[in-house]
Amino acid sequence: MLILIPLISCVLIAFSIGSNDTSNAFGISIGAGIITFRKAVYLLGILVFIGAILQGRNVMRTVGRELVVLNMEILSISLFVSALVIIIANWKRLPVSSHQAIIGSLVGSAFAFGSVVRLDTLIKIVESWILSPVGALVLAIIVYRVMEIAFRRLPVFKVESILRTLLILNGIIIAYNTGANELATALGAIVCYGILSPLQAAVMGTIMLWLGAFLLSERVVETVGKGITSLDAFSGFSAQFAAGISVFIFTTLGMPVSTTYCIIGGIIGVGILKGVGTIKSDLLKKIMLSWVATPILTFGICCVIAKILISLSYV
Amino acid sequence: MFWKLKKMFEKGKEKEIVDLIRDHITLIRDACEIFSNCIKENDKVSISEVCEIEKIGDSVRREIVLKLYEGAFLPGIRGNLYRLAETLDEVLDTIEDATIMFMMIPKLNEDIMSECVRIAEINLKMAEELLQTFEALRTEEDLKDRTIRIRILEEEVDAIKRDIFKKLMKTDVRNFWEGMAVYNFIKHLTNVSDLIEDAGDIIQILNVSLR
Repeated sequence: MLILIPLISCVLIAFSIGSNDTSNAFGISIGAGIITFRKAVYLLGILVFIGAILQGRNVMRTVGRELVVLNMEILSISLFVSALVIIIANWKRLPVSSHQAIIGSLVGSAFAFGSVVRLDTLIKIVESWILSPVGALVLAIIVYRVMEIAFRRLPVFKVESILRTLLILNGIIIAYNTGANELATALGAIVCYGILSPLQAAVMGTIMLWLGAFLLSERVVETVGKGITSLDAFSGFSAQFAAGISVFIFTTLGMPVSTTYCIIGGIIGVGILKGVGTIKSDLLKKIMLSWVATPILTFGICCVIAKILISLSYV
Repeated sequence: MFWKLKKMFEKGKEKEIVDLIRDHITLIRDACEIFSNCIKENDKVSISEVCEIEKIGDSVRREIVLKLYEGAFLPGIRGNLYRLAETLDEVLDTIEDATIMFMMIPKLNEDIMSECVRIAEINLKMAEELLQTFEALRTEEDLKDRTIRIRILEEEVDAIKRDIFKKLMKTDVRNFWEGMAVYNFIKHLTNVSDLIEDAGDIIQILNVSLR
């Protein structure tokens, strides 16, 4: 019976990732009319599955094996709290990273139960959370400059045609990363605990993510797509491409990092090039606050719940 | 599978729009040519072909706008393509207005008429330049020289226009409506060059909009 709690939680997290993160991959392309929503969602499903199968294990191992020593109670509390926080954040439209919620919850639960928390892995993960958006920022500046130089000598319709192809390529990279990193983070704990095999987890996760994307992401995609592309496809591409590469590098290293934060890093990079005044500092402060608060909050909630359950001798 | 993927990303709408805009500018060039020949010959019958061309131009504009709304091209350049289609349509409307006025006005004196013919010829030259400028969008990275040529021709029209109005002030007018028709004819004839210049500027903006 207890096995159902982490399983259902993972299903809900995968569904939430699908409903929110489809915009990261194909938001700009859908907004620009390069690909229809329906085609984008099918493509997302295929690429997420490929990502989860080919590279998902790296991140799953870090989250499920190298960070904490799991038991069923830690697993249930941490995934239940993560799912709850992610769903509430999505409902209230708060910029919460699923990675941070999951890592914060796992460490919080393990700490409360006195289980082993490997500090070296935790430090590496936190470093990745800092380095991945910073890397995306630097990459976005480089990509933007290189494209500026490369496109200077090309006729405009050629530039437009190349940009359209590159935006789709971006979508493909980010959709792949969604499977290899975002979904892998959500599934890491249940796979490493042995509840599901990597293949079973990838199939279940992809189906739920796809359902979330298909049923709930259209509005988010439209907002993100139109919001960014109405500014400028050139900048949008640079930021997104830099984020895609940054997440891909960290995925290869087995680090659970957020695509959304990397895209924000990329957008700041392009903003710096265009003038610091173009960056909305209020929005940036809100994102930074969420970046710090999410792992602390989930750590705290899991600690409290675990301590209450221990004191009531339920576990 | 490959063909399905290829179809998913094919750029049919973009090519259609580029072809339609080229057709639109070609219609302007044809209208300018007919107009120029007819006023040279004082042919008030064949000039009505311009009105037919304007009707075709309307349907071309509608098709361009519809395809843009269907999602052709990146949003960053859609606005400028829309403005270009609207401006090209205005050029055709103005040539049609000049044609209608030409059919109404009495025979102008030789001196003024020859200036009008010169303007019509410059308009034709500008339409040809505009067509070449648009074609260059697909092959060249810098259109500055081409748009400068269009601007120089427009300034030439402005100078002739001032000259015509000076001469018109010294001309006797039989009644108000006849004077009004002559004024409108000259106004529409000279507006064509202004609008072609605007279209050239939009093409130039289009060229730098994605850089």
